[in-house]
Amino acid sequence: MNYELNYTIGSIPLDKLKPKKVRKNIELTLWERLYIPEIIRGMYITTRHFTINMIGFVFPPKGKKRKIFTVYYPEEKLTIPIAYRGRPVLVQREDGKEKCVACGLCERICPALAISIVGGERHRGNDMERYPVAYTLDMSRCVYCGLCEEVCPHEAIVMSDEYIGLAEYDRKNMIYPKEKLLVPVARLKDRIEYVRKIYGKNNYQIPSTNNQIITKSQ
Amino acid sequence: MIAELIEAVAKILFIFGVNMGFFAPILGWVERKQSAVMQDRVGANRADILGFTLIGLLHPLTDTIKILTKEDFIPAGANKLFHTLAPFISLTPALITFAVIPFGGQYEIFGHRINLVIADLDVGILFIFAFASLATYGTVLAGWSSNNNWSFLGGLRAAAQMLSYEVAMGLSIIGIIMVYGSLRLTEIGAMQENFLRWGIFLQPVGFILFLTCAIAENKRVPFDIPEAETEIVAGYFTEYSSMKFIMFWMAEFLEVVTISGIVTTLFLGAWHLPFVSSEKLLSLFGFAGPNLSIVLLMLTNIVTFFAKIIFMIWLQMTIRWTLPRFRYDQIMKLGWKILLPISLINIFITGLVVLLK
Repeated sequence: MNYELNYTIGSIPLDKLKPKKVRKNIELTLWERLYIPEIIRGMYITTRHFTINMIGFVFPPKGKKRKIFTVYYPEEKLTIPIAYRGRPVLVQREDGKEKCVACGLCERICPALAISIVGGERHRGNDMERYPVAYTLDMSRCVYCGLCEEVCPHEAIVMSDEYIGLAEYDRKNMIYPKEKLLVPVARLKDRIEYVRKIYGKNNYQIPSTNNQIITKSQ
Repeated sequence: MIAELIEAVAKILFIFGVNMGFFAPILGWVERKQSAVMQDRVGANRADILGFTLIGLLHPLTDTIKILTKEDFIPAGANKLFHTLAPFISLTPALITFAVIPFGGQYEIFGHRINLVIADLDVGILFIFAFASLATYGTVLAGWSSNNNWSFLGGLRAAAQMLSYEVAMGLSIIGIIMVYGSLRLTEIGAMQENFLRWGIFLQPVGFILFLTCAIAENKRVPFDIPEAETEIVAGYFTEYSSMKFIMFWMAEFLEVVTISGIVTTLFLGAWHLPFVSSEKLLSLFGFAGPNLSIVLLMLTNIVTFFAKIIFMIWLQMTIRWTLPRFRYDQIMKLGWKILLPISLINIFITGLVVLLK
């Protein structure tokens, strides 16, 4: 449950990140003031890059070993990390129903007032359970802060990894109804695991599968 | 008479077609793509026809369509006549100066004498300088007639910079004229048949001086203070749109080609291949008969000339994407205090050597 933050930047060790020796005097030496040697030095650097990249363009190396790291976006896509906050989605149980109990906490905490819920009750076996009759998410207002995910006691709303195709020409199309938000739980397993890890507090218990209200007192 | 007319028209169409149809659009692509490759980027590669992008070569085409469909805007308070005239005054000298640059030698094919230059003037270099100075008027007029502070500043800077560098540029070329003893560019080209008699070996200082001054004349980085986009928006052509805007760009690109042509003719052995003389080439092409071998020689010379031009363009583009911009006072200091004395000393030493020889 303990989640440790990793403070190293990438895989570079910290002593390597220190800047090289800085030359304090701004007076140019005679060699530099001649200017032409320095021009040739600069042109050597740019020409070196030019030649290496031209060879790379003509005979592209296999795999991802190329010098130019630009991602050709629609053809290539980055594998986004698990911590990435894409569009918020509602978790769909294995039986096809939504996991949400319409408690209204996400509606309450949403800083952009993007969520609106109409709660209701329905039968589940012999018990009754609460469920959202309507769950509307206004994507034109959503700021992708992830507070709804953090506050949700039932792991019913999580931030997915979807970021493509969210732009629309009409604002009406950006109001997402419940049906558009539901995503099967199997596809969100990794993110739910991650959410448990980062928001897992000492008094937090993993909710049971049936939607009973969890109390601290046991 | 008719044959001469056909020859003249063919030569004009060739140079005009190569400049306007090949170099002007291609240089826009080269500028984007070469800078991208030099800076580890990809560059423009999105325009396509049926999925074929042709490494971004379709971008000049799409640019042309875009530019032609834009509104041609003249700002309120602008001097309409001069505002319209300025891009033409900029573009015309860039095109005309190529008339005196020879792109091949003199050949005798089927009893007809061909001189591969549009106008074989005996004052070729002076003609180039006269028309290159006219381009200054285009820039200054554009800056003044736009009724815009940025344009005005750009025009002022252009006037000061281009006039100062004109002096050093004119003096830097005197050395080469003294060495070859002629102002006619075809003669200067013909005298460089021997590899060791190329202008760059006889006048190395003159080469550097001329290239520096020519880039400064052309207002390109590192001397692009008249259009410095980080300081005065776009300088003298801030208020231009549509085809007039692109005419300034075309003038700039064509001047790059013209500078390459002059440098090739004066310093890089014109149309001659290094180490291979024309007689050697003729004996090599001997299998094709007396007339066709001369045609082959002519084609070889033209290809050599344009290969050298392309190399010079590449060099100028590399300089343009390597060096940062000079400050205004640094440009003036470089022009008057450094380049002018060096070119005078160069003339003096060249004169001594020519005299003592």
